[in-house]
Amino acid sequence: MTDENSDPTFANRVLIRLPAEVPSPSFQAALLEAYDVWNARRPEGRWAALHAGLGHFSNAIWPGAPLWAPASAFALALVLGTGLGIALPPIANDEQPGFSLEQPATFSLNAVDATQEDM
Amino acid sequence: MHDPDAEDVAKAGRGDRDAAARLIARHSAKLLTVAQRMLTSRAEAEDAVQDVFLRLWTHAGRWRPGGAKFETWLYRVMLNQCYDRLRRRPTRPLEEAAEIADGAALPGAGLDEGQVGREIARALETLPERQKAAILLCHFNECGNIEAAEIMGLSVEALESLLARGRRALRARLQHLKGFTGDGP
Repeated sequence: MTDENSDPTFANRVLIRLPAEVPSPSFQAALLEAYDVWNARRPEGRWAALHAGLGHFSNAIWPGAPLWAPASAFALALVLGTGLGIALPPIANDEQPGFSLEQPATFSLNAVDATQEDM
Repeated sequence: MHDPDAEDVAKAGRGDRDAAARLIARHSAKLLTVAQRMLTSRAEAEDAVQDVFLRLWTHAGRWRPGGAKFETWLYRVMLNQCYDRLRRRPTRPLEEAAEIADGAALPGAGLDEGQVGREIARALETLPERQKAAILLCHFNECGNIEAAEIMGLSVEALESLLARGRRALRARLQHLKGFTGDGP
């Protein structure tokens, strides 16, 4: 038997000896009590929609995290982006445009003629 | 895909206490097992499960069936809770880490069932947190690899790699228990 095959078997045999945790009745009652508290404070009306929207957005970014975590990440990205935008040198407007097949050529035969006249 | 929790989640979000009680009864034991094994402290595990259920209630009204399975979302939130709590903990000093038993050095004979269980729990504790999470999801929560990978936000290949490394490390740390596990020398 190779190690690849025997490691899962060994893990199964070992882990089956660890009992699952059993929540005490008082703990389950505390969970239900917390639900009652939440239910009593549940936002309703216009604020419920705003609250729901914010929560849904936050949960889509980082499931389970408190609101400040994605907000901080967003703020940091904004600060970094703004900082880089200020710090980096601006692109010069008089820079030569790149060559493109879709653009008409900007050189002129007259310029060549002028060179030949000089010779 | 039928989600057995979807209806109760929607009802709990609308204030149905019975639906909330059913969700607690269905998931609290498994969540507590994951949290306890990840955090190794019963009190902290209970706090983490409390936080997960609070988050569940606040999101229940907005749960949209047809997307991810509810249980997948729930365990992802649970794991994030555990990771956050582990990160907030002070780093363990090296001397303390050295006290963790090296399996090969310990004799297996003379251990009773309770001691064997504690040895296994300790070996599991010492695994890196992502390996531990992968093993917990697959062994205790009976998640398939695809579901466990989705919970952990990994590809299936990455999850399988974590599982393989975790199981290998577990085996190396528990060599001395071979006689107890039916895995002959």
